This record gives sequence, structure tokens and C-alpha cells, in this order.
Amino acid sequence: MNSEHKFNVAIIGAGPAGIGVALGLTKRGIKSVVLIERNDDIGGVPSIYKKKKSGIPTFINWIRGRVIFGEDYAGWLHQKLSKTDVRIWRASKVLRIDPERKSITLVNSEKGPLDITANAVVLACGAREKSPVEFGWLSGARSGRIFFSKNLLELIDQHDILPLKKPVVIGSDLNAYAIAAKLKQSGAEKVAIIDNRQRPKSPLFSRLYFRLWKSKPKFHAHVESVTFKGNGAPSAVVLDNGTSIPCDGIVLSGDLIPNSELALLARLKMDIPSRKPMVNSNFQLSEPAIFAAGNILGGFHGAEWCYFNGLKVAKKVAEYVKNG
Amino acid sequence: MSDIKGKILYEWLGEGCIKNLQFSDPSQLTGDPYDIAIIGAGVVGSALAYKLSQYSLRILLVDEKFDVGEGTSKGSSAIIHTGFDAAVGTLESRLVTSASLMWHELSEKLKVPFQQCGAVLVAVDDEQYNQLDKIYQKSLDNGVEDVKLLTKNEVKELVPDVSPNVRGGMSIPRESIIDAFSISIAFSEIALTNGVDILLGSRVAAVTESGNSVKHLKMASGKEIPAKIVVNVAGLGSSKIAETYGGEHFDLNPRRGQFIIFDEASRSIVNKILLPIPTAQTKGVLVIPTISGNLLAGPTAEDFELGDKSATATTIDGLELMLKGASKLFPSLTGEPRIGSFAGVRCACKQGTYQIRYNDGLPGILTVSGIRSTGVTSCPALAEYLIEGLKKECGVSLKPDPQAVDSRPESSLPGWWKHPYEKNGAVKARPDYGQIICNCENISHGEIIDALDSPLKPFTLDAIKRRTWTQTGRCQGFDCTMKIAELISEHCGIPLDKITKNGPGSEIVSR
Repeated sequence: MNSEHKFNVAIIGAGPAGIGVALGLTKRGIKSVVLIERNDDIGGVPSIYKKKKSGIPTFINWIRGRVIFGEDYAGWLHQKLSKTDVRIWRASKVLRIDPERKSITLVNSEKGPLDITANAVVLACGAREKSPVEFGWLSGARSGRIFFSKNLLELIDQHDILPLKKPVVIGSDLNAYAIAAKLKQSGAEKVAIIDNRQRPKSPLFSRLYFRLWKSKPKFHAHVESVTFKGNGAPSAVVLDNGTSIPCDGIVLSGDLIPNSELALLARLKMDIPSRKPMVNSNFQLSEPAIFAAGNILGGFHGAEWCYFNGLKVAKKVAEYVKNG
Repeated sequence: MSDIKGKILYEWLGEGCIKNLQFSDPSQLTGDPYDIAIIGAGVVGSALAYKLSQYSLRILLVDEKFDVGEGTSKGSSAIIHTGFDAAVGTLESRLVTSASLMWHELSEKLKVPFQQCGAVLVAVDDEQYNQLDKIYQKSLDNGVEDVKLLTKNEVKELVPDVSPNVRGGMSIPRESIIDAFSISIAFSEIALTNGVDILLGSRVAAVTESGNSVKHLKMASGKEIPAKIVVNVAGLGSSKIAETYGGEHFDLNPRRGQFIIFDEASRSIVNKILLPIPTAQTKGVLVIPTISGNLLAGPTAEDFELGDKSATATTIDGLELMLKGASKLFPSLTGEPRIGSFAGVRCACKQGTYQIRYNDGLPGILTVSGIRSTGVTSCPALAEYLIEGLKKECGVSLKPDPQAVDSRPESSLPGWWKHPYEKNGAVKARPDYGQIICNCENISHGEIIDALDSPLKPFTLDAIKRRTWTQTGRCQGFDCTMKIAELISEHCGIPLDKITKNGPGSEIVSR
């Protein structure tokens, strides 16, 4: 194998966690680190929360003691990274990992499919939003305009398009309240939030924060089942108690599901159905050369938690590669 | 397919449709009446268009949806049946059995992914076990002679994680799986190449006759298209159209089948179709590997009124029932990650299956209905059977067209089946084959562009989904939907906010 394709540490995913790992490793003097990102640019989820005049800053940055725009947060990470000699491969999709051979197969437009090896691999692949079947209490028509909140943000922030005027948001976590505020701020008339919980999952202080931005969505609690109505596009959602909420689209914003497919397909130990890879206290998977960092570990964590977690994992990875 | 002789048009004058494909005037199609107009571009209608395109005939294939195969044909178990359990001696049984022998070679020609994975019928209690002999005999009577009765241990060997209650079973080695989406697409693309005109998004409201026995398709939009022979294979829409030309009355209703889709990671635990033994109460729930590498559990059988829009919706109870049923055959399925669900509708007919009526109401009209769930398998044999009938009953003259092709080029094989980037040098020649857009199925930018450039020029999110398998993976479009919408917008010159899921009314942006 070409020495150009041999690394000490390969990090898959260049969001806050992956960048945190890369910075932590650099700080500890670890050389030959490659950061592999499937998107065209690094920064992960924060980078899609663009800085806009009408926008709402939602990313807490304790280091600087304020709430900032996601895009700024990503920029801050980017800047720190640019001072290191970490190699960054953008628009490169990892197809599979082979834990035994410690190899990674990836594809990108320059190199085609390609194998690289590394002494340690860190999965910092983040998480995605639950699909309707993963919620388990959503059913009905599979029409248009059923959005993940990420898709919605892409339309609003990158294309200045407001796709929904009367949306129903499914899920009540911080992200759900943030997207409700974003929709309101962008011109939506009325926003409803639905969850099967008794109280919103998002803490009170964050809900109050969004009130500052004139977002006060109506919360429908303890909904046990929801049926989507409509043909081409949703026209209403019907709750189990018979309440019908008219709408022109649906936003799914539930708990996050770890992007743990690489571990799943490599038959590393996983928890199903949560899809969390099983890790020990050193963040190692069932194969010791494979580590995990950030939201892939499960739960809902903000960018800063992921960044700090990345630094923490870097310490363990550094110990592992130093001890060979 | 460099030389495409037919025209593809869409009856949609809005901004959501590619400009030069818009159907605004019948003169875009023809002056003279078509020799044959086929209403309905599902598996049966498109198979008929494909087979008829081998002859020197002027043919129109028309459908109300904005893609082919978007009705009953899109939501099936995607099994190519052997017909082992069909009612002996019926036309359905004959056509299914003979078609099942065609698919091996036909799938090669059509470039439709196909795999003979085999099926195992599993008996999990005494009542079921006692039925095995009867089912075995029925298979032989249906001409499916390679079936084999299995002992308990033989079933366990074939399906290691099968239910511990297993009593015995039967193997049906030729039961196969196919990419059902690609069937209508492949047939239509070849038909189009051979000169068949295809009109989509255009609903036929009525068929009438003028003098000199020319029929007229009267579209809902008011436009009229003349044809000498009309074949009504409009699935659940066929009875309403038949009323307008005075065809013999028949009653249709959608019969819903709900399915659960399991993650690719679950595919390694079952590689055969697992069939339950039907009891007096229920036909039971199947466990089906899919050609794209997932697993399905289903279907339900729920009857709806014709026209009831909820017939394609999934329900929580229905999905729970499927999970419970499937775990009777295969208990470990309950712990497997589920990624999605869908509901399809079979075309059920009160008057019986495979209703075929020549010169129905008016001379030169053929009505075909009640194909229920077996059309995916039977369509090539059914098309041949119908062509024989058209010749005999309606006097259609069949002169082979020496220039007609009967296969798709190699490049039509969908990328998810054989990823282009795995071919040596492919990424060097086309760097966009290395640019992954759908991260679950690893589908590249290049494959999406190829789909947009394919003969039917699809431009809806669902049409691209059925050709590339994007938006179908475990994230169900979380990652790729907007990127694909952007690609369609850019490549087809459609404003981003006018991109639709499946036609007008399903725009990604509400008005």
C-alpha cells in the first residue's frame, strides 16, 4: 500500500466532535491524522445554521460565554483546525471499515474507491433525525412536504424559501423549538408542536429564550398516535383524541438516531433499536482500535458538548496509539 | 439507446414540468389515429406496449400519474411467483406459471435486477403441518414440479433462525425476487425507443366512438386523441373508464397491503422468502428479502371502497400485526431495526381475477382488470396472451418491425445494483460517480444525472427514487432529499420551490 494512504489516526466525520478529536490529538503531539468528511465542507450540523439577519442564534459557546449562530460556531472550529497539520479530505464517503485489517474503504471524485489504513479509527459520524416509522406512533399518507428539520433549514437558510406556512412539528426537544422559532421568524403563520410526552422535552429556559423571538408554538401533549391526512401534501394531522390540526406540511424533529451504520455493517457490538455502538470507558468499541465520539454515542447533545467530548476521546486515542 | 423513436410528453403546463416535454396540444402527438392506445402504464400496460412495439404498429401508452408504474405496480412484495399455490386451472395460474419461467432471461434483457433466492413454506403447528401434503399436491397440479417437502431439521438447515415451533415445510426453489420498480420503467423505455408514444399525467375521462370505428380518448383536460383499438388496463381506474364506453359492468376495490421494511443489516439473517401456511382465518404474513438488500414483513389484506384515498396509508395497528405475524415464522425479527413502511393496493375484482373482455361495449375495445397482486409476475405472459387475443378477436395485424429492439443497454442497470464507482476507471472518466449524494445506499451524483437523462426524462422526487433507490435507505431521505431536489432543479430547469414528490399538489413548498 502506498505510504500516502497510511495514517496514524483516521477520524470519520468533521463536525464538532471529529474536529475536537483532531485538535485534541494535535495538542498531544500525534502526527499523521486524517479527517474524512462526506460533505463538501467541514463543520457538521452547526454549519447549516446560517448567520442571517432574520435568524436566531442557537449555539451556545461557553468558551466565549454567548449564544452564537451555528455557522459562526463552525467557523470558529474551522479556524482552530487550520492552524494544525491535520489532513482534511472533503466530499469523501466512507463505504466500510474493516476492523481487523484496520482499513477504511472510501470513495471521492478525485480518487475513486480507495483503501487507507490507520492505527486507530474514530467514528465521529454524528446523528440523524428519526424517520416516521422510528417514531412508532405516526401513520397515514406518505405525501409530499413531510420534512426533517434539517431539510427545512436547507431550504430556508440556503435558498431563502419558506416551504410551510402552517407547519406541525413532531417532537418537542430543543431542536423542535428552534425549528418552530425559525419557521415563525421566517414568516410562518402558526406553528403547532406535538409529542407523546406529557411536557415538552426542551427545557423551560430554552423555550423562554425562543419567546424572546416571538415564537410561542402551541404544544399538544400526550399524543399517543398521529395520522397524516392529505393526498399530494398533508392537509391535517389527526390526533388520537380526534383533534384535527389543519396544516400544510409536517416537520419531524424527534430524538436523534446515531449514524452508526459503519459499525453496524462491520458487525461491531451495537444496541438495537437505539443504534448506539457499545463502548467502554475509553470510548472503544468491541474492536479496540475503533473509537466513537460525539452524537454517535447517543442522546441529544449540542455542538459544544460534542467538541469537548471529542477532546476527551482524543486523550484516550492518543494513549492507545502511543502504547502501540 | 441513442435513437429514441417515440415521444414522451407530460400533461402539466405548470412550472414544475420540464418545458419541452409539456403536452399542450394533441397535434404534438399525431394527426392520424393510433393503431392501439393503451390506458394504464403499470406493469401490464407497459409490458403490453413493449411486446406490441416489436411490430409495425403506431401505439400510445397513457397514464394519469407522472411516472410509469405508479399505481398498484409500485407497492408490491416484489416476488416473482412460481404459482405453486394458485387455484388450479385458472387463467391466472396458467399465466403466472408460464411467466415465472420467462423472468430469468427477460430480466437480463430488461436490465432489471433479479435473484432466484427460493422460498420455504414453514409450518409452525399441527393444523398447518397437516396441510403440507395438500399444498405439495397442488404445486404438482400447477406444474411446479421442483418443490420438495422438508422435515423439521431440513427447514432449520435452510433457515437457521426459524421459529423453534417449526414442524416441517416445503421448499420452492424457483420463487424469486425482483426490482419491481424497474419493470414498468424498463418495458416503457424500450417501447419508447421502438416508437411508442408515452403520455403521462393525463387522465382518460371517457372513451367514445365516432364514425368509421375510430375511438377517441377524451382526456379530463378536454383534449382528444383518436385510436383504432383501445386497451383499458387502468388498474383501479379501469371500471370507471369502462362505464363510459358501455363495457360489461364489474366491481373493483382496492385491497391494501401494508409492509414493514427492515434495515440492510437484517438481510444477513434471512436469505430466503419465508411463507406461512394459509389457514381458514388468514393468509398469513410473509418474510421477504428484497433485491436491494432489505427485508420486508407483510402484507395485510384490507378492503376499501373504490376511490377511498386512505387505501394507501399505513396504520400503526397494521404494522404491529405484520410484526407479530412475521415473528411467528421468524422470532428474531422483532429485535431488528425497522427503517420504513409502505402500503400498496391490489386491484381486487368481485367478478373474479383476470377479467379479459374483447370488443367490450364497442368493437375494438379490450378491457383487462382484476389482476390483483400477480401482475408483477404474470405481465410478460399476460401481454403475449392479450396480443394473441387482439389478433384473433379484434383483427390486429402483426407485422414484425425489423428495427425493433427488445432489450435495454447495459448502462441501464441501476447503480445500486452495480455501483459505477466500483468499475475500474469509471470515476476518472466521470468524476461525479465518486461524489456520493445518498449516504445510506451510496448513490452518486452521476447516477442521479443518468436517471434524469434516462428515456422517460423523469423529474419528480419519487420517480428518481424508483430509478436510483435514493431516499429509500435507513435515513429515509434525511440526508439526500434536498440535494436531489437541487439536482433536479438545476438539471431540468425547474425552480426549486416547484419540485414535487409525485406531481402537481405535492410541491415541496406550499402556496
